[in-house]
Amino acid sequence: MMLAGTIWQRELVEFAQRRRALVIKLGFPLLVALPLVISGAPTIYAAMALTMLITIVGALGSGAVLTRERQSGLTLRYRTLPVTPGRLLIERLSTSALIDFFQLTPVLLVVAVRHPSAFGWWPALLLSVAAVLLIGNLLGAVASTLSDSPGEVMLYVIIPLLPLLYLSGVFTPLEPPILLVVSRLLPFSYLYEALLGALGGQPNLLPWETVLGGFGFLVGAIGLTGRFGRRVLESD
Amino acid sequence: MKADTVSERSLLAATGLTRAYRGGKGVFDVTLQLNPGEVLGLMGPNGSGKTTLLRLLATAATPTGGQISWFGNSNPRDPSVRRRLGIMLDQPAHFEQMTGYQNAWFFAHQFGLGDELTRERLDELFRWSGLSDARDQRVSEYSLGMKRKLNLVEALVHRPSVLLLDEPSLALDYRAELDLIERLQLLSLTGTAVALATNDVHLAERICDRVVFLHQGRVIREGQVPELLTEVAGSQEVELQLNSPIGLERIRALPEVEAANVEADTVHIVLARGTNPAQVLAVLNGTADLVSNMRVRRPNLGDLFLKLTGEALPVAHP
Repeated sequence: MMLAGTIWQRELVEFAQRRRALVIKLGFPLLVALPLVISGAPTIYAAMALTMLITIVGALGSGAVLTRERQSGLTLRYRTLPVTPGRLLIERLSTSALIDFFQLTPVLLVVAVRHPSAFGWWPALLLSVAAVLLIGNLLGAVASTLSDSPGEVMLYVIIPLLPLLYLSGVFTPLEPPILLVVSRLLPFSYLYEALLGALGGQPNLLPWETVLGGFGFLVGAIGLTGRFGRRVLESD
Repeated sequence: MKADTVSERSLLAATGLTRAYRGGKGVFDVTLQLNPGEVLGLMGPNGSGKTTLLRLLATAATPTGGQISWFGNSNPRDPSVRRRLGIMLDQPAHFEQMTGYQNAWFFAHQFGLGDELTRERLDELFRWSGLSDARDQRVSEYSLGMKRKLNLVEALVHRPSVLLLDEPSLALDYRAELDLIERLQLLSLTGTAVALATNDVHLAERICDRVVFLHQGRVIREGQVPELLTEVAGSQEVELQLNSPIGLERIRALPEVEAANVEADTVHIVLARGTNPAQVLAVLNGTADLVSNMRVRRPNLGDLFLKLTGEALPVAHP
């Protein structure tokens, strides 16, 4: 029997014990991504679909889980543990993002195998995937405080995500300079650019610029998660 | 961090504690303290604020007014405060896909226990709670009683200075309740302070040193159990089980009746000292065939609550 003494270990143990969920979690992204990457779909469409997939995988998981925990009374129990809310949320969401990353690993491997020459984009891709997953998890966690219904929480997550993805230039190239500036302030644009590069397309940014953007958002996401600890865990 | 202003001796002290919810529910202006080795009962009907008060004391909720001091420290988020609290909330919340032992192991480690000590204490507590055979079963397969026993194990494992228990005897069988009573009495002797929210008057009379009555979120009476019982000593309670409802007005109008209330199909009547129950039964003349069962018993804390508020405490074990 696997025993977990820390918050992140517990998340991993529970994930590993749910075998059916494990298979679905690994299989579902592959089902979406495989035809896109293998069939040679235009890179802008493949990158768009994969950006949406990665963002949604990050946001939906934690939103639904935290809502269920709020309903079952587990959030109340978390509040009574001798751990600061910021640290608790960072541990939980970073582990959840790590699990999401694991879930997306087969997809990333398929991209790597299909486009081996684009390896220069991989540091940027890995960093921006990590950043978007953590930010997605945080968005889901904040949304979980707005409703007691997992279904409604998914709606609260999707509603801000769609315009943010548009403003990141994921759906259509952004022409006005002001929109271009806005897109660089959103993490999804770096993920989209990194995916374009890794899929052999024509990104607008250089790999090092994307690495910088991905890294900056990853660090920012960790800090923001710590700041949101009380908001997420102590809201009634 | 503020110093404990109520009493140097108190492990826990609340002053003017208020937590208001929309709709007028909550707790208002509650002042209480808990001393080492003391067992304090928080009693009141559903909605009286017991659970809210316990959550505030357990650092699970934030007050909108007043202050609480735990071990002289008024910061509820200070890990050193929470490490000394053992908490059993009203919902027996667990990670349902993990086993009982995995859950208990996880919570024990959150309170700073090492592997060896956790193993040793959990072995003893699982034996004590009767959960040994089910320790490797997923919590989702546990009954409510088993989940609450697991909560007790988790609340006790780090040997807290203060135990805060919400309805600890709820869903426990006879044997488990007896074990719980013995355990709490033992812990109290070794200096652990216990605050328990309960409607179980027998449990409260048996193990509580002091009781706080809550009604509509406010403390309406507080005192040592023997002292409170003297207020109803000599009077009697008549319980009438009914086949069909009867009006209580005529009964309440009798000078010999201190309080009368109906709960489900049972009428509870507290009689003044020296009253012969037959005097009350005479009022039922003509409707006596509606009474299926009648019981006269010595009064308890529930009767005092009825006398004070006109409202009966719900039956803890239907």
